[in-house]
Amino acid sequence: MKRTRSLIFLVLFFGIISYLPAQKVDSKVAGKCITCHKEESPGIYKQWHSSNHGQHNVTCIDCHGAKSSDADAFMHEGAYIATLVTPKDCGNCHPKEAKEVGESYHANAGMILESNDAYLAHVGGGSPVAIVGCESCHGSKVIIDENSPNKLAKISWPNSGIGRINPDGSKGACVSCHTRHSFSKAQARQPEACSKCHLGPDHPQKEIYEESKHGNAYYTNKEKNNLASDSWVVGVDYAEAPTCATCHMSATKKQKVTHDVGNRLKWSLRPPISKTKEDFAKKRKNMKDVCLACHGDRFAEGHFYQFDALVNLYDEKFAKPATQIMDLIKKKNLLENKAAFSNDIEWVYWELWHHEGRRARHGAAMMGPDYAWWHGIYDVIHNFYFEFIPEAKHLNDKDVNDLIAKVMSDPMHNWLSKDTKDLKDNINSGDHQKIYKQLFNLK
Amino acid sequence: MKEKYFKFLLGVSVNWIGKLGMILTTSAFITFIVVEIPRLLGILTNAYIGLITYLLLPFLFIIGLILLPLGWWKYHKETGKSLDELATERFEDDELRAKTYGSRIFRVVIILTIANVIFLSAASFRTMSFMDDAEFCGTACHSVMNPEWMTYQDSPHANVNCVDCHVGEGVGALISSKLNGAYQMISVTFNLYERPIPTPVHQLRPARETCEKCHWPDKFYGSRLKRIVRYDSDETSTAKYTTLNLKIDTGSKVGKAGIHWHIGKNNEVKYASVDDKRQEMLWVETKQDDGTYKKYINKTLGESDNSFEETRIMDCVDCHNRATHIYEDPRKAVDIRIATGEIDHSLPFIKREALSSISKTFAEKELAKEVIRTHMERFYRNNYSSLADTKGKEIETAVKTLQRVYDKNVHPNMNIEWGSYPNHLGHDRDAGCFRCHNNDMVDESGTAIRYDCTLCHNILASDSETPFQYLRPVEKADPDSAMHVYLQEEFLNSYK
Repeated sequence: MKRTRSLIFLVLFFGIISYLPAQKVDSKVAGKCITCHKEESPGIYKQWHSSNHGQHNVTCIDCHGAKSSDADAFMHEGAYIATLVTPKDCGNCHPKEAKEVGESYHANAGMILESNDAYLAHVGGGSPVAIVGCESCHGSKVIIDENSPNKLAKISWPNSGIGRINPDGSKGACVSCHTRHSFSKAQARQPEACSKCHLGPDHPQKEIYEESKHGNAYYTNKEKNNLASDSWVVGVDYAEAPTCATCHMSATKKQKVTHDVGNRLKWSLRPPISKTKEDFAKKRKNMKDVCLACHGDRFAEGHFYQFDALVNLYDEKFAKPATQIMDLIKKKNLLENKAAFSNDIEWVYWELWHHEGRRARHGAAMMGPDYAWWHGIYDVIHNFYFEFIPEAKHLNDKDVNDLIAKVMSDPMHNWLSKDTKDLKDNINSGDHQKIYKQLFNLK
Repeated sequence: MKEKYFKFLLGVSVNWIGKLGMILTTSAFITFIVVEIPRLLGILTNAYIGLITYLLLPFLFIIGLILLPLGWWKYHKETGKSLDELATERFEDDELRAKTYGSRIFRVVIILTIANVIFLSAASFRTMSFMDDAEFCGTACHSVMNPEWMTYQDSPHANVNCVDCHVGEGVGALISSKLNGAYQMISVTFNLYERPIPTPVHQLRPARETCEKCHWPDKFYGSRLKRIVRYDSDETSTAKYTTLNLKIDTGSKVGKAGIHWHIGKNNEVKYASVDDKRQEMLWVETKQDDGTYKKYINKTLGESDNSFEETRIMDCVDCHNRATHIYEDPRKAVDIRIATGEIDHSLPFIKREALSSISKTFAEKELAKEVIRTHMERFYRNNYSSLADTKGKEIETAVKTLQRVYDKNVHPNMNIEWGSYPNHLGHDRDAGCFRCHNNDMVDESGTAIRYDCTLCHNILASDSETPFQYLRPVEKADPDSAMHVYLQEEFLNSYK
């Protein structure tokens, strides 16, 4: 009896508090904001007015209201407000999303200072390019400047990178996908939401998607994709084509929408040699569940079989040997100049994995044939055989040369010393393909 | 009798200089009479005739009068003869003989002198009044003044003469304005003036002397309801209302200050602006009760921007800088014409098309007017062909109205396009009030001059569907409901 009563109490308690607004806001304050900003920043006003926020009386102060003790709070027309709206603020009303974002790979995108990319941008380029280039996508630490009218230092504001490090301790910026101030679902579901950052020579996800049948179908049938619908379950609310969000985030009949973007990925294809993610079997299963909304089981399985084999091909044939050679060169201090990226071969190796190798793997993952081959493995081959290996040989080191000889004697590489006619005959007979058979069954 | 004067005239013109003077004086006098009579009878009305009768002829008359004694003087120098000897030589003894009322010659001189004085005073009176006429200012230097003349005629001050504001009262004002006018004549003749004429006009008469003859601050009280209608660019050109209750009080009572506080009896606002353009402020000072000044500085400007010569004490024209020569914003110009019915609101897409027809500017006015016509006619012919029959007259009226709007506001020969001159009143397109009332004008503690919307006006509608939207009951589901509540209460509490 006592347990039942406390259970009823708990249910009532949480039931009631869940209906209370996250922050109690004086509507007169909100009214004053709108009054001036309707005139001063009509774009913001109009976007907000037609947004779901506007339509549900979520006003300026609900998101921008701040406590006087907040590091970025400033007094503006009689109220403490903050320019910055962090996932913590959004989480007042959207706790599930904020939690998922906080745990996602995206939220950590701002911790790039230790990466080679950031190093290169800073030494080769300089901080201006690190800010407008790297940090515009990755986000950076928001610096407080007491003399700035909105307390935000100009050097770190604007700052809408997805891994922004906020003064309230939260990480991320919801606006990097949910463009302010309309925060449109339709906009966030379109591939363009992602392609502010996911494009270009090192990770051309947008271009690959456009090349793929998925992209083709999407751009043909965009209007039929029900993008603005509240419920957006693939195969139920729409079926014409998937967008980035469909596969990586949005709901299926079995899965709920998730803001943890890595939750359906087996591989981490970012590093020089591909890595499988923690709990990858489950994550692959999650992805396959998405595929099954529109594809048969065999089709989905077949795709993963082919995709994994390409990842293995890149890893085994090029990434691992090149990395081994590079590690040996560095271990023996054979390079002329001390700093990273001050020698030609480092750039060659860098582009091999960071640009070409990723293009190939991403191309395979998202069924973009041209990126898997011409922009991918083709470039890897050319770079590996005719730039990387010759550069390494140039160092005239016995150990390096021995390692190269060992690599080149591998059945995958020894074609260079063979007769073309024999090679062609082997391809035609299927014998040559047998060299790669094991790649289909790794891991 | 006639012979007597003729002989006299011949007698005083001793050499070629004297003869020239005599010819100039006499012919100027006669021509003046000949031209002035038909003008008095109302037969001649052209303003250019006035240039001849009231400026050129009196000028020639005076030159002639000056030449006469010059001729005498030269003759005296060359021959060494005294005035008496000269008189004896030029005139008969009989004429020189002294009588009760002087000699005959003396009497002729007296009569002619009186005639000269009468003529000169009449002519100079006519000259002054001619130059005081707005038509003289507006049309005498046609190409330069035409834009100002056109905007003036369409303005609230169209019945006030130019000189009432631009010259002011007193001999000093008159002399300085005439000296200035002389320079302007030179600059027009030799094409020395800038196009468009740069503003602000620094030598304008002090507004407190001119404007306040009719509009004096003690009588700026209470508030003024201003209703603005804007039309959307949709097919029906949906009307949207903005209604402002402008707080225009001079604010003698504490807490009741309004916009005219700036020029109130005990108040003084001083400022300096970048390049004395009165657009971007360097600093502003306001007089405090104890006689000291509180200073606000534009924090965005460094030392290098501090180029000013003029410290202005704020008066009417610092805000009402276009009280008469009002150049319109094209969007607003179309809105007003639709609101007054000069352009028919029922024509489809009338706002959008009317605006786009006048937005482009061309080197020739006539070409632009032709483009306005073809733009409007073609749009309705191609998209609403039946309207040509049913609304032909309305379309024609719209075209004519738009051509007039263009004619008034765009002047290619003076390089005046849409928006060439800023209008400081309010804050529609130009910064206006926000020149000083902004985030960057701060006192020493970093506090900015207030610039919140309800400081100067209650807002009773803001691009709303009805003119008094915010006085109506609040609809909770409306995204604007918070603003609605705020503005309603703000208005109601202003009049407790």
